Amino acid sequence: MASEIVSFSLNDREVVIVASPLTTLQKVLRDQLGYTATKAGCSQGGCGSCTVLVDGQPMVSCLLPVKDIEGREVTTLEGLTKTADELHPVQSAFFDNFAVQCGYCSPGMIMVSTALLERNPHPTRDEIADAVAGNVCRCTGYQSIFEAVEDAANRMTGQEER
Amino acid sequence: MTINAYFTPESLQEALNLKARYGHDLHVIAGGTLLMPQINEGLFYPEMVMGLRRAGMDTVTMNGASVIGAAATMTQMETQTRYPILQEAAHSVGGWAVRNMATVGGNLFNQPPFGDFCVALLALDTKLKIQSADSERMVDLNEFMTNGRVLEAGELIVELHVPNPNGLTAFRKFGRRQANTATIVTVAAQINVVDRVVKGARIALGGVEQVAIRSYVAEAILNNAPISQEIVAEAAAAAAKASNPITDAVATEWYRRQMIEVQLKQTLSEMLGV
Repeated sequence: MASEIVSFSLNDREVVIVASPLTTLQKVLRDQLGYTATKAGCSQGGCGSCTVLVDGQPMVSCLLPVKDIEGREVTTLEGLTKTADELHPVQSAFFDNFAVQCGYCSPGMIMVSTALLERNPHPTRDEIADAVAGNVCRCTGYQSIFEAVEDAANRMTGQEER
Repeated sequence: MTINAYFTPESLQEALNLKARYGHDLHVIAGGTLLMPQINEGLFYPEMVMGLRRAGMDTVTMNGASVIGAAATMTQMETQTRYPILQEAAHSVGGWAVRNMATVGGNLFNQPPFGDFCVALLALDTKLKIQSADSERMVDLNEFMTNGRVLEAGELIVELHVPNPNGLTAFRKFGRRQANTATIVTVAAQINVVDRVVKGARIALGGVEQVAIRSYVAEAILNNAPISQEIVAEAAAAAAKASNPITDAVATEWYRRQMIEVQLKQTLSEMLGV
């Protein structure tokens, strides 16, 4: 078995790829399809920078064989908005609250935060911390990230503060 | 070195047939959170791997006897409500994305300083259903762990059978961080109390030896004793004294032994209200 064909939905578009056995979704996204928002961090499932949504559930794409997601729906940071010019409310909240320094954790943080706000539109500080506990940030100290998620919650439920 | 084949069976029968055909040469993953890091790191190149994510082995039945499919995820264990101890143990594993992948069956094969969910299963007197294409057996989880976690060439762990909740339970994972952390020591306990006397204590410890273990000395001190601060302190001290902890990057043998006493004492005090 030299290679295998896998098809799945990526940001609402059907994709068909050919990969060698046990190739991870992360490798396919970055190296084959050019979707580089999904980062390659520790490749151990420990840092969360490669987090994508599979059928709406956060998963670390570095540990996910692409064959496992045959027929599933994958959402990456690139798929949060319809066009490249728009920002999702979580993205703009991260931008406005300076929740980004080096930016390496941001795609994973934003994917997890988006998934959280979909399930829980008004999370507490503890619930936000719990949701992003698998995403390591070594720049911000997390405070600005928590604030950004709270701000995004307000924006998305029409209680915009700014 | 290349990985020649990755099988993704769509049913248990298909998985068992593949295992019957290839035996120990076929490495099994479910969530992928144990084997994939090793492959990514270049530490391990299996020739053949089978992934169970699509094999329909994640069913969880909790009316009557509880039967947990071996490929059920930590997230599924967090959302069930029958066993608070399993909710807590599942939540102590990794971060959200990892819990959406890591499975109950896979956790049995983790190495310290990980494998915390298994500690709670041990406190609950869990039994494993192990199947091959033409056989089926039930094994005590405790026996499976202490006997080197050995499966025959064609076997898979298919289900975990958890007895009805029985008495008080508690779970505590003590690591260097509050979440997404390796363990220094993990404590799980199930204790029945009748007229303020301990009956049927099961104390399990993780992060101590190569596999999760029961502390028989602590159980023996607690069983049939009237609950008191003294008995709790005695049990915790005995568990620490009898332990043979590992030294690793997370903690030394000495520190782990101290923490067994401290964490077990606090866990028991809280659950027994002394």
